Amino acid sequence: MTRVLVVEDDTATARELCAALEDHGFEVDLAADGKGGLLKAATGGYDAIILDRMLPGELDGLGILSTLRAVGVEVPVLIVSALSAVDERVRGLKAGGDDYLVKPVEFVELTARVEALLRRRTTPARASRLQVGDLDLDLITHQVTRAGRPLDLLPREYELLEYLMRQAGQVVTRTMLFEEVWKYHYPESSNVIDVHISKLRRKIDPEGASPMIQTIRGAGYILNAAS
Amino acid sequence: MRLRELPRTTSFRLAVFFLLLFGGASSALFGVLYVQMQGFLVARVDEWLLRERTDLSRYSPEELRTRLEARALVDPSLERAMAVFDPAGRRLDGTELPAPATISAWDVPFDFAIALNGKRETYRGLARRLETGDTLLIAQSLHETDEFNEALVQAMLIGGALTIVLALGGAVFVGIGAVRRLDAVTLAIRKIVAGDLSNRLPTRGTLDDVDRLIHVVNGMLEEIDRLMREVKGVCDNIAHDLRTPLTRLLGGLERVRRHDPSKEEYGLAVDDAIAETKGILKTFAALLRISEVEDGARRSGFVSVDLAAIVQDAVDFYEPLADEKQIALSLSGQPVRLPLMGDASLLFEAVGNLLDNAIKFTPPGGHVRVTLFSCATAVGVAVADDGPGIPPAEWEAVLRRFYRTEKSRSTPGSGLGLSLVAGIAGLHGMELVLADNEPGCRITLSKAPDA
Repeated sequence: MTRVLVVEDDTATARELCAALEDHGFEVDLAADGKGGLLKAATGGYDAIILDRMLPGELDGLGILSTLRAVGVEVPVLIVSALSAVDERVRGLKAGGDDYLVKPVEFVELTARVEALLRRRTTPARASRLQVGDLDLDLITHQVTRAGRPLDLLPREYELLEYLMRQAGQVVTRTMLFEEVWKYHYPESSNVIDVHISKLRRKIDPEGASPMIQTIRGAGYILNAAS
Repeated sequence: MRLRELPRTTSFRLAVFFLLLFGGASSALFGVLYVQMQGFLVARVDEWLLRERTDLSRYSPEELRTRLEARALVDPSLERAMAVFDPAGRRLDGTELPAPATISAWDVPFDFAIALNGKRETYRGLARRLETGDTLLIAQSLHETDEFNEALVQAMLIGGALTIVLALGGAVFVGIGAVRRLDAVTLAIRKIVAGDLSNRLPTRGTLDDVDRLIHVVNGMLEEIDRLMREVKGVCDNIAHDLRTPLTRLLGGLERVRRHDPSKEEYGLAVDDAIAETKGILKTFAALLRISEVEDGARRSGFVSVDLAAIVQDAVDFYEPLADEKQIALSLSGQPVRLPLMGDASLLFEAVGNLLDNAIKFTPPGGHVRVTLFSCATAVGVAVADDGPGIPPAEWEAVLRRFYRTEKSRSTPGSGLGLSLVAGIAGLHGMELVLADNEPGCRITLSKAPDA
C-alpha cells in the first residue's frame, strides 16, 4: 500500500487532506510541526510527502525539504502553500520540491498530482517510447501511431498526448495539463483545455471507436487503452 | 472665531515680527539722522563763532568796544549776540545779554544757559579774554535748533505710533483672515470625517500657497471618494452576484429534500450543488486573485520576459476555441522579441482573458486580430474584434469588478476578467486602453519601453 506523509499544522486542513488521501486509497500519516515532520519524513520510508510551506517554529516547509534532500532522501514532495507568487513557486521547487500547489487545494487536484509524482518515480525517465494499448509514441522521433497508422499532431498536441500517456490510467486535471504543456502557472478557468482535448481525440480515435481519452466529471481526463 | 487664538496664528506672528523688525530699523535710521543733523547744526554755529572771533581779534579793546556798541545799535536782537563783560560779569558794551554763570572753556565753542525774561535759553558761545582783563563773548541762541530737534522727535514719535497701530491692525486683519480660513477648512474636514465624503475644502481661488495645498488635498479626497465608492460598489456586487447562485443552491437542496428522491436523482442534486458551490468558490478565487495582483507584492518576482513569445503562446492556446466558433484569430505585426520586466504567467493570463472575451463576444464568422507593436514610445499588444463592441460610455465601467454590459449578461462569465487584466496591467506599469474598432472593440495593453 502506498504510504503518504502529510506535514500540516492546521488541524482542519490536515483532517481534510488526510481524509481525501485515505479515500483515494493511500495510507496516511500526519505530522503537525516541522520537527516531527522532518523526523518522520527522514525515517518513515514514505512513498510521497505533502508538505505545508509555512509551519510554526524555526523549521518551515522549505527547511524540512532542503534538510531531506541534503541527507539524500529522494521521496517525491508536493509543496502546499498559501503563497502563490511565481518566485515562491520557484523557491519551493529549487529547494527540492517536485510539485507546488496553492491553497485552497482541490482534492481531485491533490490526489491526481500525488499519483503523478508516484508515477514519475516508477517509470524510467530514459524510455525512448511510450505505449498505451495500440497507441505508440516515439520520444526520439516524435512519431505517433495508432494501430500502426501514423498520426499528424501539432507540437502542442504531441506534448499533451505525451503527458497523458505518461500518466496513463491516472486522472490528470486540466490545471496539470495546462502547467505541464503550456508551462504557465495560474488558475486557468476557461474551457480551452477541453477544446484542445477534443481536437486531440478526433485525431487519435478512428471513426466510431470509443475515445481513449475519457472525461472524468469534475476532475479532468484519463487516458486508457482502448477496450 | 476665538480672539485668543489670534496670537497663535502664523500670519499674526509674522506680522508682529515684521513690525518689530521695521520698528528697529526705523529707530536706528532716525538715530543716525538725528546725530548727523545735530552735528551739522552745531558745526554751522561753530563756524560762525570762529569766523567772528578771527574777525574781531584784529581790533584793539577800545576799537572793539566802539564796534560792538555800534553793532548793538544796528542789531539789538539776542539771536546772535556779541558783548564785552568786565571780570565781575557786568556788561560793558554790545548786545544786552546777561553774562553766563560760568565759562567752561576759553577760545573754543561751549554750551551755556541763561535766564532771559524768566525763561531758560540755551546758547552756544565763544569767550575770549581781552588784554584789558575783560571778556569778549560771541554767542548764538540754540532756540531754533532746539525747536527743530523737538519737531523731529515729535514727528518720529507720531510716525512710530502710526506705524505700530497700522501694523498691529494689519496683523490682526491678516490673522483673523487666517483664523477664519483655518476655521472653514477645519469645519470642512470635520464634515468629511463625519462621513460627508463629497465635501471639499474651501479655496479662495487666488492660487496662493494655501490654495495650492488645498487643491492637492481636494485631489486626494476625490481619489478617496472614488475608491470608497468603488469598494462599496464591489461589496454590493459581491453580495448581489453571490446571492443568486447561493439562492439557486439552497433551492436545489430544498427541492431534493421535499421530493423524497430516488438514489439517482439524489446524486444528480448533489452534483448540481457541488457545481454551484464550485462556481461560487471560483468567483471568490477570482476576487482574491485580483486583490493579490493589485497588492503589488508579486512585482518582487519579476524577471525579463518576452511579451512576443507570451502572446504567441496565448494565441496558440486559444486558436482551437476560435476555430470551433469559426472565428479567424490572427497575430500580426510581430516584433521578433518584445522583452520587458514582468511575470510571464500573469501576462499570459491577461492576454488570455482578452482573447477569451474577444472570442466569446464575436459572432461566428468574425475576426479577432492580435497585434504586437514596439516603437520608441510604446510597446505592447492590441486585441481587436469585430463583435458588438462596448459602448464608449461603459469603457471605464467594464474595468470595475462584476460589471457586465447589457449584451454580456446572457453569456457565462463573472464580470471579473477585465478587472483582473486591469490589475495585471497596473502591476506591470502598463496602460489598458479601450477603443472603438468600428465595428467591435479594441483593447490595448501598452507601456513605455523598458529603459
